[in-house]
Amino acid sequence: MNNPTVDRTRFRYPLRWRVMDSLEEGASLIWPRSLSRHTGWLLLAPALLLVGILVLGLVQIAESSLHTLDTSTYLPSENYTGENYLTIVESATYLRILWRSLLGAALTVVFTLLLAFPYAYILVRTSSALVRKGLLVILFLPFFIGQVVRAYGWLIILGNSGAVNEVLGLVGVEPIRLLFNYPAVIFGLVQYMLPFAVLLLAPALTAIPQEIETAAGSLGANWLQSLWYVVLPMAKPGLIGAGLVVATLSLTDFAMPAMLGGGSQDFIANAIYDQFFRTANQGLGSALALVLVAIGSLIVGLVFMIFGAGTLGMGAKK
Amino acid sequence: MFMSDLQLDSASRAERSVAVSVRGVTMDFGSGSPAVKDASFDVETGSFLTILGPSGSGKTTLLRMIAGFQKPTQGTITIAGKPVDADPPNRRSIGMVFQKLALFPHMTAAENVAFPLKMRRTNPAEISGKVEKFLNLVKLDGYAERRPHELSGGQQQRVAIARALVFEPELLLLDEPLAALDRKLREEMQLEFRRIQKELGVTTINVTHDQREALVVSDDIIVMDQGLIQQHDRPVGLYRAPNNLFVASFIGVSTFIDGTLTADGLKVGDLLLPGSATPEATLGAPARGAVRAEQLRIGAGPEALAGCEIEMDGKVEDVIFEGERLIYVVGCERAPDIKFQIYHHDPHSFDIFEIGSPVRIGWHGKDMKIFNHDA
Ligand SMILES: Nc1ncnc2c1ncn2[C@@H]1O[C@H](COP(=O)(O)OP(=O)(O)OP(=O)(O)O)[C@@H](O)[C@H]1O
Ligand SMILES: [Mg+2]
Repeated sequence: MNNPTVDRTRFRYPLRWRVMDSLEEGASLIWPRSLSRHTGWLLLAPALLLVGILVLGLVQIAESSLHTLDTSTYLPSENYTGENYLTIVESATYLRILWRSLLGAALTVVFTLLLAFPYAYILVRTSSALVRKGLLVILFLPFFIGQVVRAYGWLIILGNSGAVNEVLGLVGVEPIRLLFNYPAVIFGLVQYMLPFAVLLLAPALTAIPQEIETAAGSLGANWLQSLWYVVLPMAKPGLIGAGLVVATLSLTDFAMPAMLGGGSQDFIANAIYDQFFRTANQGLGSALALVLVAIGSLIVGLVFMIFGAGTLGMGAKK
Repeated sequence: MFMSDLQLDSASRAERSVAVSVRGVTMDFGSGSPAVKDASFDVETGSFLTILGPSGSGKTTLLRMIAGFQKPTQGTITIAGKPVDADPPNRRSIGMVFQKLALFPHMTAAENVAFPLKMRRTNPAEISGKVEKFLNLVKLDGYAERRPHELSGGQQQRVAIARALVFEPELLLLDEPLAALDRKLREEMQLEFRRIQKELGVTTINVTHDQREALVVSDDIIVMDQGLIQQHDRPVGLYRAPNNLFVASFIGVSTFIDGTLTADGLKVGDLLLPGSATPEATLGAPARGAVRAEQLRIGAGPEALAGCEIEMDGKVEDVIFEGERLIYVVGCERAPDIKFQIYHHDPHSFDIFEIGSPVRIGWHGKDMKIFNHDA
């Protein structure tokens, strides 16, 4: 009866299952099985809570944007007024900053996507593992450096006596002011955004089978036609996703305009910072912040309306 | 010998022109032995050639070289009289249907079909006329506006065929496009390929590892194994007169008997089995005989085996029911190591021999092919 071979072939209840059983038992005490159809909401709750807190903060900012700064007492005014918004709309400086930020975001999106697309394409399509690894390392390196240090690095490289001007000097070119202008800010932003864009584009390109491109070739398309008629349309979700992320990140960027713009190329975030921490004009700062939120939401909303949320690969709707 | 009747209409062959000529083509990826070794063959204009072989035998590689996706290490490929070695795929006049179809998912069926015309800068009026004509040809009128994901597997196949043919290429290449379909649909599409190919008269090279498909649709078949062309023949010739053991075992179901070749046939122990030897088989050398399952007869007694020169007693060891026919596996005392596989098809009787029943089997001497066999 006590045959040892029977023992060896017997089904042994895995330890992991035992652990799961006790966890489940514990969970059912706190969250009875009858409530299990609400479990989805329970899992969503923390994220909703976080967003909720953000909304609370926004409400507070909205409230304070409706008070002007009383210059005699340096306290917010008692009564509600829309004066801060009027100040923004009537001020040539703020309109210029707004315009500069929007144009900056647009230019950054265009240049970043132009540079990121071939990078991501080669990353995905190269048959050499060495090339792929190299491209990935180069891509991730800037992430470890951080934005401020990187901007400082550019100060050193692009400064009047920096490396670039030194090289130019060797061939007899007078030092050029490469810093503290608009192109420098855009340059810094593009360089900062490139890894994000590549990382967002790569999966979209991976999803396009190599065979599709081969087919386009065999049907008579040269590489440009195959890019234009096949690869780009199929990469659209990735391009839109990457474009949105780059646009919102650069529209709200602070460090690049501050450091590479040297105070002369402020974006909205810099103006908000000034109001909060320099002038201590909370009301005006809050109004600017809300304008920024509104513009950002408008852009995202417009893109969703034109292309549909489905284009980002979020949900089934085509 | 018995093979002479199989060289069907070889005279009429010579009159036709050659659409594709492959000469001494070798592809060496540098890893082990070459994927394709010294392949040479011609494809007649308007004919349907199938390249048949097991997985990894080099079929796709050969097809990709003809399409221009891969450059041969050696050799020359000529299409319509012009060497194409320097032409990229988009400059060769070739329509290709891929294994995974590779339809453009963001385009409708009609746009997919229009694509090759657009790439050739055809004017819009002509494009719409041709798209209509070719959707009609593959019986897809009414589906023009559908995206690929809104079409069934068979309908997607049809779009892929129309797209490969709409620009009237010199050559149609098919790389196992039917492999993913279920059997019924696959057989339907095989006949469909055949119909369209005949209707347009386009020269076609088809790759498959499905011997049935090859036999059903082809004018000519090339059997490949390990990068080498084993035989190039018409389907009937290939089936009835295989060149070597590989072809004999790859196509059809056969029973193999090992022995020594003598002037009178195959000597197996004290048995002497008559048969027809291939020209390469040498007298006195180890040889292997092959008899097709449908050429073996089975019966309860000698009366069922009228005309068989070889007969022996055996015992049924297994019965496989395939619907339209049965396969018996029979062992015989006189040839102890051999399991005879026998097709049995008798529309007038539903009798089935049970496992273990004594039976008598036999065959005609001429039905055994004898090949060289290095034991
Ligand atoms: N790009 C490549 N690099 C290296 N070896 C390759 C390459 N492509 C194919 N091979 C090798 O060449 C041989 C033939 O491959 P091929 O794809 O032509 O086989 P096949 O007959 O089409 O097989 P299947 O029926 O499985 O598709 C295989 O051994 C394969 O590993
Ligand atoms: Mg293949």
